[in-house]
Amino acid sequence: MATFEPVIMKGIGESDLADIDVYERGGGFSVLRKVMSDMTPDAVAAVVTESNLRGRGGAGFPTGRKWSFLPKDGRPRYLVCNCDEAEPGTFKDRMLLEKTPLQLIEGLVISAYAMGAKQAYIYIRGEFLEGSRIFRRALAAAQSRNYLGDRILGSDFSLDLVVHRGAGAYICGEETAQLESIEGRRGEPRLKPPFPAVAGLYGMPTVVNNVETLCYVKHIIERGAQWFAKIGPEKSPGPKIMSVSGHVRQPGNYEIPLGIPARELIDEYAGGLLPGRKLKAFQPGGASSAALFEEDLDVGIDFDSLAAKRTMLGSGGFVVMDDTACMVNCARTLTRFFEHESCGQCTPCREGGQWVARMVARLEAGEGSQEDLRVLNVINNTITGTNLCPLGDSIMPFLSSVLKRFPDEFAAHVAHGACPIKDVTAVVA
Amino acid sequence: MSETKMVKLLIDGQEVTVPDGTLVVEAAKQLGTQIPVYCYHPKMDPVGLCRICLVEIEKAPKLQIACSTRVTEGMVVRTMSPKVAEARRGVLEFLLLNHPLDCPICDKGGECDLQDFTMEYGPGASRLTEPKLHKPKRVDLGPTIVLDEERCILCRRCTRFDNEIAQERNLVVVERGHNSLIGTIDGGDYESYFSGNTTEICPVGALTSKAYRFRARPWDLSHADSVCTQCSVGCNYRVDARFGNIMRTFTRENSDVDGGWICDRGRYTFNYLYEPARLREPLVRRDGDLERASFAEAVALTAEKLGAAAAAGRAGVIGGGRLSDEEAFALQLFARKVLGTNNIDHRARLQRYASPARFGARLRDLDDADLILMFGAITPEQAPILDLRIRRAVARNAAHLVFVGPFKPDLAVPFHYVEYATGAIGDLMEALADALKRGAQPQGAFAIDLARNLNEASKIVAVHNGRNPVAASALEQLIETLLAVGKRGGILVVGSQGNARGAEAVGCVPNLGPGYAPLANAGMTTAEMLTAAANGKLDALFIAGANPALTFPDGALARKALESVPFLAVAEQVMTETAAYANVVFAAASQFEKRGHVTNLEGRRQAFAQAVEAPIYVATDAAIVSALASALNKPDVLDDDPDWLFSRLQAVEQAAKPAEPLARPKLDPSVTAHGDNLDAQRKTFTVVPVPKLYAGGGPSLHDPGLAPMRPQARASFHEDDALLLGIAQDRVVTLTGPNGSITVAANVGTSAAVGTVLVTADMPEAPVNRLLDASGRGRVTVTPAPLRKEALA
Ligand SMILES: Cc1cc2nc3c(=O)[nH]c(=O)nc-3n(C[C@H](O)[C@H](O)[C@H](O)COP(=O)(O)O)c2cc1C
Ligand code: SF4
Ligand code: SF4
Ligand code: SF4
Ligand code: FES
Repeated sequence: MATFEPVIMKGIGESDLADIDVYERGGGFSVLRKVMSDMTPDAVAAVVTESNLRGRGGAGFPTGRKWSFLPKDGRPRYLVCNCDEAEPGTFKDRMLLEKTPLQLIEGLVISAYAMGAKQAYIYIRGEFLEGSRIFRRALAAAQSRNYLGDRILGSDFSLDLVVHRGAGAYICGEETAQLESIEGRRGEPRLKPPFPAVAGLYGMPTVVNNVETLCYVKHIIERGAQWFAKIGPEKSPGPKIMSVSGHVRQPGNYEIPLGIPARELIDEYAGGLLPGRKLKAFQPGGASSAALFEEDLDVGIDFDSLAAKRTMLGSGGFVVMDDTACMVNCARTLTRFFEHESCGQCTPCREGGQWVARMVARLEAGEGSQEDLRVLNVINNTITGTNLCPLGDSIMPFLSSVLKRFPDEFAAHVAHGACPIKDVTAVVA
Repeated sequence: MSETKMVKLLIDGQEVTVPDGTLVVEAAKQLGTQIPVYCYHPKMDPVGLCRICLVEIEKAPKLQIACSTRVTEGMVVRTMSPKVAEARRGVLEFLLLNHPLDCPICDKGGECDLQDFTMEYGPGASRLTEPKLHKPKRVDLGPTIVLDEERCILCRRCTRFDNEIAQERNLVVVERGHNSLIGTIDGGDYESYFSGNTTEICPVGALTSKAYRFRARPWDLSHADSVCTQCSVGCNYRVDARFGNIMRTFTRENSDVDGGWICDRGRYTFNYLYEPARLREPLVRRDGDLERASFAEAVALTAEKLGAAAAAGRAGVIGGGRLSDEEAFALQLFARKVLGTNNIDHRARLQRYASPARFGARLRDLDDADLILMFGAITPEQAPILDLRIRRAVARNAAHLVFVGPFKPDLAVPFHYVEYATGAIGDLMEALADALKRGAQPQGAFAIDLARNLNEASKIVAVHNGRNPVAASALEQLIETLLAVGKRGGILVVGSQGNARGAEAVGCVPNLGPGYAPLANAGMTTAEMLTAAANGKLDALFIAGANPALTFPDGALARKALESVPFLAVAEQVMTETAAYANVVFAAASQFEKRGHVTNLEGRRQAFAQAVEAPIYVATDAAIVSALASALNKPDVLDDDPDWLFSRLQAVEQAAKPAEPLARPKLDPSVTAHGDNLDAQRKTFTVVPVPKLYAGGGPSLHDPGLAPMRPQARASFHEDDALLLGIAQDRVVTLTGPNGSITVAANVGTSAAVGTVLVTADMPEAPVNRLLDASGRGRVTVTPAPLRKEALA
């Protein structure tokens, strides 16, 4: 059994942390109190920078550095909390939103204070209806106790938080598309530069941070930068929630110290593979990440180790596929997802994505050709790295990695018009 | 001025030095290196979507888009490396996957960027093996455009034009990903005065103009560099003809004038030439009916009558604002040197001045103005491309826009509306100019506001309609005062006709010769000539390119004059309300059938070339007046050759000694420029004529291209007045003034001020000039038409 003591998942499932009395009894808002009475914004930001916290939303950008890019020019600045979690295989933010919304609020208020934002937004994925209700109740409770609103806890700092709900587009998780959406336009990524820190929401300096990132801020302030920095690898420190799904005995969210081997996550945390099954592939960082295989099980789960393997930690969606999984079927699911979610601005993502999805669907249906395989093997060059936002670069990694590793499985679909695996089990992320 | 930093970079091994911040694609242009683009358009913000412009930049980990990457010192760019070629081939392959390839029947075939770039950089064949995806093929996007969604490559130039340039925000992308379509925000029509520009900037044949669809192939077209005369902006354009018939017009960028755009009125007005209404030979009235006649007969008859009237000092000439500078010059030569009269006036509308006497501004001055004052001029309707500059200044530079006038116009950008009754603007401006000059606080909330705006602004451009002489001179005083304290600024006067300013400048006014040279004996103004004719004191009138029956403010007077004058000759392109009264009608050549110069509202004289031949019995206005001069034994005074006329004009203008400030065209004695009180009882309503871009008689009435856009004549009331009068939206009402009445449908809203009724101007079916006097003023009673029974049930 895993031994790591949960940090932001602590108490989840044991008591109702969405109840403000319960949350306060467990020490909730004491960090905010301490910050408001004893710390300057710069001091808070300095601790976060020192902790080396890297964003938990996918790109892993150092949070303190991101905050430091805000120009000090007197213009209003905004904090946007990204809770649009829609990456297949990732389901941690939803849990944090529903189970411990007050922890998120506390982290968010502390972060807004550190960067001097008087106005914050939380962008909640449209499908999280229950989560948004829970969050609104928690927000009202926090406001009634002056953890938010005017002159928080008697200080000079005021903060207003607007709840903005999405409408079912994955691309609105991308930070600049999210800003467009909040502004009332079509959710589509903006051309960068300028980056949001310089010209973000309504053209003002803006920081977009993930839910999980903001939750850790609270604990870093409470326990100190060094506590955090000493967990896991030096350049990729801290705990992180991994959403484990697919062919394991106990799918679910697990908070791990970064750096542990993939094998440990599967076996110790997620209960191991199903009886009698063999590992075939796993995706360490959600739908956008390239697959790894049996021989990669010792790779450390952290930003840099995974990048070295040409895949990524992403948002921590860890999908396990055993020997009953059909790789063509998995690739079909994912390419279909990206085809459907492309915002349509860029030619390679829009047109290439659609073409790839059609080819893979045809392969799965047993109607593919050798020509399809030839095209799929080279099309990566023109689809990946040629788009405006990373979604376009997410179409090919999984497909390319399994095509390279299991060429025979793809070829068999062409040769026999059907999957060679008996009793295929679909992977449910 | 701070000096722009220059940076040096290498593009494909060639060194180039450009200002810091230049886009790589623009820097490459300087070397003659073309980087293909689709979404990029030099007039719009780069968005970087189509990805065709990917290039290799040393030290960058991935290919970069040339359309939005800015140059830096020492940058090394490769636009033709194998990696770049592969990316381009990829993008083209993607774009062509589901493209219908209707090149053989596509309007854009031969001038299509998808065709051209595929030839140059694309793959020879598609690797797509399944059926192409299909999309709607003939989408009726609005009155001017049909969209083929399958040809669309989703570059979004059209939607961005509508958002960024037109500021109208109607065209949008609907749906997502490869299902994306171009549509309107509410699913309604794409209606815009600027819609035609989207068909031009569309890199493929997706947006096709209804006027040109399937009519020609680009390689069959002849081109003539011309200038639009549909309004006084004078946008430069190209006229494309096929076998002698005009097929389309196309922008021809002059960044000082049009910024590379034209409006739909300008773009689509030419098909009237091929309509039955077009006059193709002279007409002479015989036994009460206008009948076909030879040019010789028309000239002989006109010379005889006009000559006799002139000999008795009882002849007059109206027109010039729709002719070229050369011809307007010829027209006044004809009046002065052949007929021996100064009775010549181009003003057949409410406008009195076509230029400011001092402090003329340039169109470009609008670009960096921080305060724009619109005095009565409704720029979207009267000078559309000028309005685009205002839109940009307001939207991009946060220029402050103030409209002062008798009703709230429909403008595309936010503005401050100051309601000021007709006529009273002059008083207001006078008081304001006076207060500013004395450094005193002006009276009234608005004047105080405006004075503050003026004080805060550093560059002020006033756009005036040239109607109110008191306002015009007060405006000049105002600018003078502002210039004196170190501010910048000037005045633009929107012309009432395309070449109003040219006509004024070459002497088509009773008291000024060419070059604004004051004359000793002023002749009669249009109003005076019409009054004299109505009273039997004028024996003959010659009217060229003017339609006073419809446009002269006092329509009753105009019609009485045209009816009473013993002899009337009119030179026109199509039958008009005025020509219907004539004894002789000359079939006049259009702008497209001749060459010469025109002068736009800022005083810029621009040459235009001939695009097509006129029908055989159609003559230019210059040819008509020089034939008349010959028939009157003065063949040396005039020549119809534009070059001869132009060199004479230049010589005369150089010799002219204009006064400083410029002497003003003579005013009608009837003009009362001062304020008018509204009827507090609201038994009568003050009539405010409202210009509309597509209204008018003549060519615009008969052009099939404009027909779908033609407005309905309307009377608009303030909602409080409507309540009082018992009028609902669309109710038919009769407006009755002292000299006539019109019946129109009502609009109810808040754009009209209380006590006024707005009436669409220049509509032959309901001429507002039946309700006005010579100074454009009128009061009417309002009678709702009885409701039909079924409407009551
Ligand atoms: C297609 C796409 C989807 C994304 N979805 C999310 C999301 O659902 N939640 C999230 O926090 N970040 C998402 N991101 C990453 C954000 O753009 C951004 O990097 C992140 O919110 C920054 O927060 P962090 O620094 O705290 O990680 C997405 C990025 C892309 C390209
Ligand atoms: S890469 Fe895809 S999702 Fe991202 S901006 Fe381009 S089209 Fe939209
Ligand atoms: S219609 Fe033309 S201009 Fe508009 S997006 Fe499509 S290709 Fe571009
Ligand atoms: S703005 Fe005036 S000059 Fe320009 S195209 Fe339109 S009508 Fe012609
Ligand atoms: S022209 Fe550069 S991305 Fe379209």
